[in-house]
Amino acid sequence: MKNINNPRKPAFRKLRAYAFDPSLSLKIDTVEVNEMEYTLPWEKLEKGPIGSYIEVIDYDPTLDRYYEPVDLDEPYILVENGIRPSESNPKFHQQMVYAVAMTTIKNFEKALGRKVIWSTRLLSDPQKYEEYVHKLRIYPHALRASNAYYSPHKKAILFGYFQSRANAADIHMPDAIVFTCLSHDIIAHEVTHAILDGIFRHYNEPTNPDVLAFHEAFADIVALFQHFTFPEVLKHQIAKTRGNLENQNLLGQLAQEFGSAIGGYGSLRDAIGKVNPVTKQWEATKPNPEDYQKTMEPHHRGSILVAAIFEAFLTIYKKRVADLLRIATGGTGILPEGELHPDLVNRMAKEASKAAKHVMNMCIRALDYCPPVDITFGDYLRAIITADMDLIKNDDHEYRLAFIDAFRKRGIYPTGIKTLSIDSLKQKELDIKFNDREGSNDLVKSNIDINENTKNYLSILNGYLQEYGEEIKYITDREEIYRTTTKFIRGNYDNPTQLIEGLHQRWAITIEEPGTEALSEMTGLAFHPGFENLGIKTDDNFYFPQFSIQNLRLISRVGPDGNLLNQVVFSIFQKSGVYIQENGQVGHFVPDIDVQPNNGFIIYGGCTLLFDLDENSLKYIISKPILDVEKYTLEGHYIIDEERVRAQYRYQFDEGMEQRSLYNKYFGIGLNNNFSEPFAMLHNH
Amino acid sequence: MSKINRCKVRMYRAGTGDCFLLKFYAGRARKFTMMIDGGVWQGSEEYLRPFAENIMEACDGKLDLLVITHEHRDHVLMFDRCKSTFKDLEINQLWFGWTEEDGDKDVEEWKEKFGDKKKALHLAAMAVSDRLADGSMQMSLAGNYMENAMYDARFQFSEVLNGFSDLHVSGGVYKGALKGMEVIKNQLNVKSIRYCKQGEIIRNLNNLEGIHFYVLGPPNVYEQVKKEHGKAGESYDHNKDIEDNELFSLAILRNKNGPLEDHLLPFDREFLVENDKLQKETLEVPNTENVYNAVGQEWRKIDYNWLFSAGNLALRMNSLTNNLSLALAIEFEESGKVMLFPGDAEFGSWESWHKIKWPVPDLTTEKLLNRTVFYKVAHHLSHNGTAASLGLEMMTHEDLVAMATLDFSNISNGWKSTMPNRQIIKELLKRTKGRLILVSEDEIFYDFNQQETLESQIKKAQQRMNDKEKLEFEKDLDKPKPTKLTRGGQTFEKELYFEYSVDGRK
Repeated sequence: MKNINNPRKPAFRKLRAYAFDPSLSLKIDTVEVNEMEYTLPWEKLEKGPIGSYIEVIDYDPTLDRYYEPVDLDEPYILVENGIRPSESNPKFHQQMVYAVAMTTIKNFEKALGRKVIWSTRLLSDPQKYEEYVHKLRIYPHALRASNAYYSPHKKAILFGYFQSRANAADIHMPDAIVFTCLSHDIIAHEVTHAILDGIFRHYNEPTNPDVLAFHEAFADIVALFQHFTFPEVLKHQIAKTRGNLENQNLLGQLAQEFGSAIGGYGSLRDAIGKVNPVTKQWEATKPNPEDYQKTMEPHHRGSILVAAIFEAFLTIYKKRVADLLRIATGGTGILPEGELHPDLVNRMAKEASKAAKHVMNMCIRALDYCPPVDITFGDYLRAIITADMDLIKNDDHEYRLAFIDAFRKRGIYPTGIKTLSIDSLKQKELDIKFNDREGSNDLVKSNIDINENTKNYLSILNGYLQEYGEEIKYITDREEIYRTTTKFIRGNYDNPTQLIEGLHQRWAITIEEPGTEALSEMTGLAFHPGFENLGIKTDDNFYFPQFSIQNLRLISRVGPDGNLLNQVVFSIFQKSGVYIQENGQVGHFVPDIDVQPNNGFIIYGGCTLLFDLDENSLKYIISKPILDVEKYTLEGHYIIDEERVRAQYRYQFDEGMEQRSLYNKYFGIGLNNNFSEPFAMLHNH
Repeated sequence: MSKINRCKVRMYRAGTGDCFLLKFYAGRARKFTMMIDGGVWQGSEEYLRPFAENIMEACDGKLDLLVITHEHRDHVLMFDRCKSTFKDLEINQLWFGWTEEDGDKDVEEWKEKFGDKKKALHLAAMAVSDRLADGSMQMSLAGNYMENAMYDARFQFSEVLNGFSDLHVSGGVYKGALKGMEVIKNQLNVKSIRYCKQGEIIRNLNNLEGIHFYVLGPPNVYEQVKKEHGKAGESYDHNKDIEDNELFSLAILRNKNGPLEDHLLPFDREFLVENDKLQKETLEVPNTENVYNAVGQEWRKIDYNWLFSAGNLALRMNSLTNNLSLALAIEFEESGKVMLFPGDAEFGSWESWHKIKWPVPDLTTEKLLNRTVFYKVAHHLSHNGTAASLGLEMMTHEDLVAMATLDFSNISNGWKSTMPNRQIIKELLKRTKGRLILVSEDEIFYDFNQQETLESQIKKAQQRMNDKEKLEFEKDLDKPKPTKLTRGGQTFEKELYFEYSVDGRK
């Protein structure tokens, strides 16, 4: 009887919540699967709940009142694994948003191999620049509207509630109140927006038709596959299978049924399939490559990406259960009459759940291989393939082909790729290897033509990043991770005895030397003399182009074969002011200095550099160039990447303008401003 | 008696808003005078008087028929501002849509609900303005990167929202129907009123032989609401329904000084933290309240964000009211040619026109659209004012001419970003061969980057007319001499109206 007064902390906290949303609890055939237990890592909670990642603040501004906060550590609540699911108890609402939000966060951390850090608050004071955000705030009852959104500037999710004029009187009580904070998919969707904002701030800026569509689709993909990782949920649906097991429409139908019909959420799954009005049977929609060419509205465009990923999932799942089906049907594929054997149901549900988990991980992992600005669906496909190949050498279930095939059918191709194969889609490896030993010029071995100066600086940079990896590896506190990372980026110039030159400064020096053009070529950013003619601002202190470094991070992942992956990644950004002159030529203005012309806009260039710590190499540079690199290679002079400029112009001044929602058209100001609440606008219809 | 075979359509040019005078002729003799709406987005009596006087003069102080399509200010304001000018106007008949019939039980019940929503919209608009005025909105943004741009966006929102609210509400406090509408109903000299119902055909008015009116809209709202429900695969009819804003309206309309009534709460009262000493002995402040009010964390507060949902309410109210427009197809018996006056009907209304079973063999709404030679563009060229496949694409007559009541010098905030819709302009220019007449083309661009003026596009499209068409169009379009006008202390000159003569012969 030792330690009775100081018992071991539990590893998990289990909380009951809806698997979907309350409406399904009223349908007798789904009631049994609609309540489930979410298993979360144990953490100390205050009333709210307020934990280390999120704070649930149940203030209702529409009435100027607070609802009683739940205390999840109360003994009666603890022994019962949380409060019983109930629409009429706000404490349960708080519990549910907490449970689903934490589940989503943990799924990200598992897949990414690092901690989730919220996007910092940018300040008006340029000296302070930014502020660390400890906790994402969640307001479960913030709006009286059929809307919920993540607010990038409040670092908060605002959930709405509204009165539903039920059209399906069998599911909803007439005039019942619908709470968006009780839908698993809406919560997961919004938390994903917040996490993504923490990684890629610039993905909030619609620079091409894919960017906002990607934000929406990605959030929905996470919500959807997170759902599918719960085997209990799938069992129920699989058990309903009769006859031909090959017919996997049940899962597609399930995906759509669980999508919320509120706001724009449901439409993100529209492209998966629909009920055929003649046969009354659900059918998967045949992909049409024209849709990707023509559809511009973010949700509808996003639904193309969701459908592509979902198809990849189905292909993978079918492959995984092929042997089970042969066993169960004696090779005929046709089932005997009656219910499925529960063991078979279990096994199939497990395979589906496993496939869902894998697909979700692939989708999340790919983020680290995406360009930091101006993403397209094609870039995303490349990122998925590259990330997967880095971690998983042996693709025996042919996951990658499943993805490529699904994208190809929808006409989604990355630019600059000649053939659509795994090898061409994978980012080109740079193969710049560093020697461990310091002190000589043969530090770098590379098959790329770079001169000694560049090699030297890259090698120093690599050493610095190794140092960063060593230091950050053992830090578990998120704020500490943020502070250390910031220190490595900015350096420490306050204390002369402990002067640390930051990454920003080191990068600047690296490219300051003559003969380092190779780096400009590799990054596609303007670091050459004469940059100021390309609409790029000069540094306040030196004759040097302005740029910023963000998202420095260490990635530690374990592959299925036990292989380890240790990589340090960071992104460089540059911006240029451009406008289209009357003669059609691209002209420049310098942002923050020159007056922005009437039809002027900012174009961002950026690249993600990925250093492999174990291989000791600079492995990839994934770039959205600001320069026309090809032109430089061929003609030897630098100009802006006009193709990107024109594409952004076309979108922001034409295609995109017509496709905005009604709400945005009337109340927003152009595509870029959006009230600084891009997601509030997106979800408003 | 000879049949009507020509109609001169006079579009007044006070600003964005509808005001039309139609003079019907049999041969050379004017037989019948009709007015459709008398509105403009804004204008003082001083500015609008010359327009009103011109109307009085043109109709000799006597209208055979006045049609009011719907209650929005940009369709009725002139009657309010210029009531002294219209004091002696004799109106033989006045037509409304069925929703204006006072005393009908269903209509009254619906109107009360509708009125509540108008009031809520108005209060919400005022609440947003107040937050801007008292500085609280600025405070909540203080310290943020781009705080000024964020503030400007909210200011813009408020302007637009108030614009929507002003369509329904005149002056400070909401008092029910618009003043303009009240003047029309109570102060004008009207002999008889008719409330038109969808699917009616009105023939043989005195002195108007050979003209048939087909009532296309407003749709029967009750039936439509029923039909909107029950779509497969959709649980909530989100946001299409004004009722979705019910809880929002309730919260806006509540008396903030009174007690919190049960019907306002989404939960049982026991879950409320009541900081009311009478009810609780100890004043317990939950930690969440402390977190919310923590010093330095003001930027995370959400006190006013919910008010932005008013934008949805405004859009629904606007569409709903537009869809209540009395929409008329006016047919010349001799040729079957049609003049289409849809008010501001939006897609929902257009769609319902095609479900009408006309009491005439083989007649469909599509055929009426096929025979349309004059189209008053609905809702000032906005995106959803004109249906595409169920509307404009059915207007296939080679003589098609369109008039649109858009004027950037006098328009609601927020409308400039939605009007004109480029696709509709493109389609109209194609179908009319450039015979598209706007109240004013000034400052309107064809593209978003403002390189190409609408005026030049119209001119370009007009090249597609053949010589005969060009000649006729020139002959049929009449622009009077400019008149001196005063607005905001400034005096300037412009043509009061454009008049197009529609040939109703075969």
